[in-house]
Amino acid sequence: MSDVTATEKPDENPILWVARPMATAARQFAKSLFRPSTIVYPYERLEDPKFRDRLDVASGKPFGVGQVWDNYRGVHALNIATCISCNLCAFSCPDVCIDMVTTAGSDPKHPKKCPQIDYGKCSYCGFCSDACPEGCLTMTTRYELSVSKRSDMIYPPERLFEVFRSKLPMNPIRLARPENEDAILLDPPLCIGCNACARDCPTQCITMLDVPKPEAKPGEKLPKRIWKEPVVNDSDCVRCGTCISVCPKECLFWGTRK
Amino acid sequence: MASATLYSVSYDLSHLLLGGIASVFPDPLRAWISNGNVITGLAVLIFAALLLAASMLNTILLIWWERKLLGRFMDRRGAMHVGYAGLLQNFADGFKLFRKTTVQPREADALGFFTGPTAYMVTSMILFGVLPISSGWNSGALPLSLLLALAIFSFAPLFIFVSAWSSNNKYSLMGGMRSAAQMIAYEVPLLLAVVAVVIVAGSFDLTTIVYEQQNYWFWGPLFVALVVFVAGMLAEMERIPFDLPEAEAELVEGWNTEYGGMLFAFFMLADYLRSLIGSILVVLLFLGGWTMPSWVPSAATSFPLAGIFWFMLKTYLVFAVFVWIRAALPRVRTDQLLRVGWNRMIPLSLLAVFLAAALVTVKCVPVFGCLPSPGI
Repeated sequence: MSDVTATEKPDENPILWVARPMATAARQFAKSLFRPSTIVYPYERLEDPKFRDRLDVASGKPFGVGQVWDNYRGVHALNIATCISCNLCAFSCPDVCIDMVTTAGSDPKHPKKCPQIDYGKCSYCGFCSDACPEGCLTMTTRYELSVSKRSDMIYPPERLFEVFRSKLPMNPIRLARPENEDAILLDPPLCIGCNACARDCPTQCITMLDVPKPEAKPGEKLPKRIWKEPVVNDSDCVRCGTCISVCPKECLFWGTRK
Repeated sequence: MASATLYSVSYDLSHLLLGGIASVFPDPLRAWISNGNVITGLAVLIFAALLLAASMLNTILLIWWERKLLGRFMDRRGAMHVGYAGLLQNFADGFKLFRKTTVQPREADALGFFTGPTAYMVTSMILFGVLPISSGWNSGALPLSLLLALAIFSFAPLFIFVSAWSSNNKYSLMGGMRSAAQMIAYEVPLLLAVVAVVIVAGSFDLTTIVYEQQNYWFWGPLFVALVVFVAGMLAEMERIPFDLPEAEAELVEGWNTEYGGMLFAFFMLADYLRSLIGSILVVLLFLGGWTMPSWVPSAATSFPLAGIFWFMLKTYLVFAVFVWIRAALPRVRTDQLLRVGWNRMIPLSLLAVFLAAALVTVKCVPVFGCLPSPGI
């Protein structure tokens, strides 16, 4: 016996090698002759009443028209009113499809930046929705996204707000936060008290408190700075890191508060 | 007109057409146009055009039929959008292929590269013209039509190998060599299975073979020959489970790897045309052709074009069996293929020939009845 034939099972009847798969195929044919599993999508939809049994199998409860599973991750909905422009959605996006753009109608001196999503790149992972500290960026169950122009795949904040206002079922993706999160810590000798962090903090959780100006010893020159230091309110902080990125002296850093 | 044949219909059409055209023109031109030779010439052209149209239409319908059936075997629907139930999908696909550029590889041999697919297509079309579809659809009295059909059928590996060699691609070449090896291995049992039928029918004429099946169709007594013939046909048509020459997983697309556009469409169409011809041969040799058993009510067999209707119904059902096999069975290995071909199929076909000889000797078998007396 050569190696080639050694792999075959000699105890089985070769007729069965043909007959068994033929029987399986015939059974499948008979089963799908009248109603195959395919839903002929543009003409039928998963949420059509006649496919209710399939939806019920998945979730255990019936759904209305235009609605698929609860945890379906479709188009995002953005509530511009509660967005704090913290940038966390853009940071967390693995496909780099979120840009923070100025929303229409915001104050030109202090432009309000909100996420704009490029659905040509989006992988619908839901990380942005998870990262959003205010719960203003959520995912809806809308799954129809076809457009005729590539530029139409980019949804500016206003369009995401329209999705929000259409009251589609939301899928709030929020994972549990760890008990002991990292906090913003300060390296006091480096700070110049410039107020940049407090100015740019989206949640206004940084307060600049006075620090006593030390007495200059003879021959020593005091650094030229404002004698204030930021204090972060950890319960309000959303850990967006804006303060770290705007700090001119790199005196803020992530750390665990003792 | 009960005795209308394909040729008489095309002759009448030609006569009518040329008579109408000739009546417009003055005399010397009229006499020339309505000359008997011109009418015969145009009749032949119309005859060929009808055959071409029938073969292409059936081929494209066969692709549709396979796609729909295969869809159901895989729990889906197949082509749906273009035309009713996707009937026009393959016409659209063909039109797309027709519009595409044919890219010739730089190192390819142009002569073989272009003549290979063309010859493959043309021989398959000739094959369709040889086969009788009904008592009227009959391309004249060819006493050796079965032999001619099988001879043309076995041209294919040559042209496949020519186009594979000319493509100058290792996958094409491997596919072509596999194709040649496989077809030679299965040609012998295929022909021996046919010999069994010929022994019982006593003729190489396909029309006579069909009329010899008036008492019973040959598939019952010659079941072994049928099995060998179907297996051999599967290998000749290069369909799953014997589609080694174009095994996608290992050889890209086999011998038609380098082909695109219309030349690929030629291969595709010729493949399905050969599948159609394989199904037609099974119907002719084993399933009684266009005749129906005598217990079928005469109303079901005497309406116009009843012969063609029943014949095509049988053909499409036979092809459905081929699709069933394709849906169920995996591709075999080369060594398995050749071992089955030489070690199993040839003894089986010899057994079939022996059984056929025994059948001719005893004349009558218990369940099926007797052979008809010769001279029908």
